[in-house]
Amino acid sequence: MSTYEEEHNTSGNSNSRRDLRAQIRNLYQEDGSSTALLQLLAQLIPESMQEELLNEKEEGCPETFIDSLPRVNKCDLKGADACSICCCGYLDDTHPLVVKLPHCSHRFDLECVAVWLSKSRTCPLCRDDVLSHKPKVDISNVELEEDWGMYG
Amino acid sequence: MSLKRITKELNDLGRDPPTSCSAGPVGDDLYHWQASIMGPPDSPYAGGVFFLSIHFPTDYPFKPPKISFTTKIYHPNINANGNICLDILKDQWSPALTISKVLLSICSLLTDANPDDPLVPEIAHIYKTDRAKYEATAKEWTKKYAV
Repeated sequence: MSTYEEEHNTSGNSNSRRDLRAQIRNLYQEDGSSTALLQLLAQLIPESMQEELLNEKEEGCPETFIDSLPRVNKCDLKGADACSICCCGYLDDTHPLVVKLPHCSHRFDLECVAVWLSKSRTCPLCRDDVLSHKPKVDISNVELEEDWGMYG
Repeated sequence: MSLKRITKELNDLGRDPPTSCSAGPVGDDLYHWQASIMGPPDSPYAGGVFFLSIHFPTDYPFKPPKISFTTKIYHPNINANGNICLDILKDQWSPALTISKVLLSICSLLTDANPDDPLVPEIAHIYKTDRAKYEATAKEWTKKYAV
């Protein structure tokens, strides 16, 4: 009587999987060498995706940071001002959604800079590390918030 | 987004072309361009016209364009396949850069090579130890392949 593996023609497959499991186990027992583990795991990923996965070391900004970028008021925008990412004038849009970066104050369309900052931490114009500055804590509102708490 | 921005760059290049470079689509495909750079007058590439091929990724300008020389050139940072070792085409890419700015950077790379980060170590070695020989070979290649 044939076994399940023979019937389903999976014996070769399961052997190589067993080898892989053994290799992974060895790696963990050695010293958790992450590079070797990554290389091994990379064999399981299609070649076209490897470059992207292994090269993207640099992390982007957290979504909360991007969401908290200060908006630029429409009346502060001049006719010739353009987003340097899409190269379109801000006022081409009747409802421009423009933000400025915290330290260098460079302006961009939120839609454009959000894509960039989701995978990078630098300003597209001056390469300032946007996460390197401590956020300013605005203490003028603190008391107000406490008062509100009392009524709540 | 990418197509709109590429079209915009094409229009800007037509309106205000850089002095020593030109670029435009090869055929109907706006994601594939050809560019040319005039060898800078103060370099051994003077008098030559160098052609480059440009491929835009679909997520341009969030990823850099792939640019390579199609004309043979003797340079420490450009290899036999025409690949260019230039930081702004790799990890120093910024979405605020344009093809026009990148081509100008390539022009300055032709004037000032970067032998400390070579793509062709043999040429970098000659560049550093025997500048006259490097210049003579670069001039010879320019005459042979780019004139």
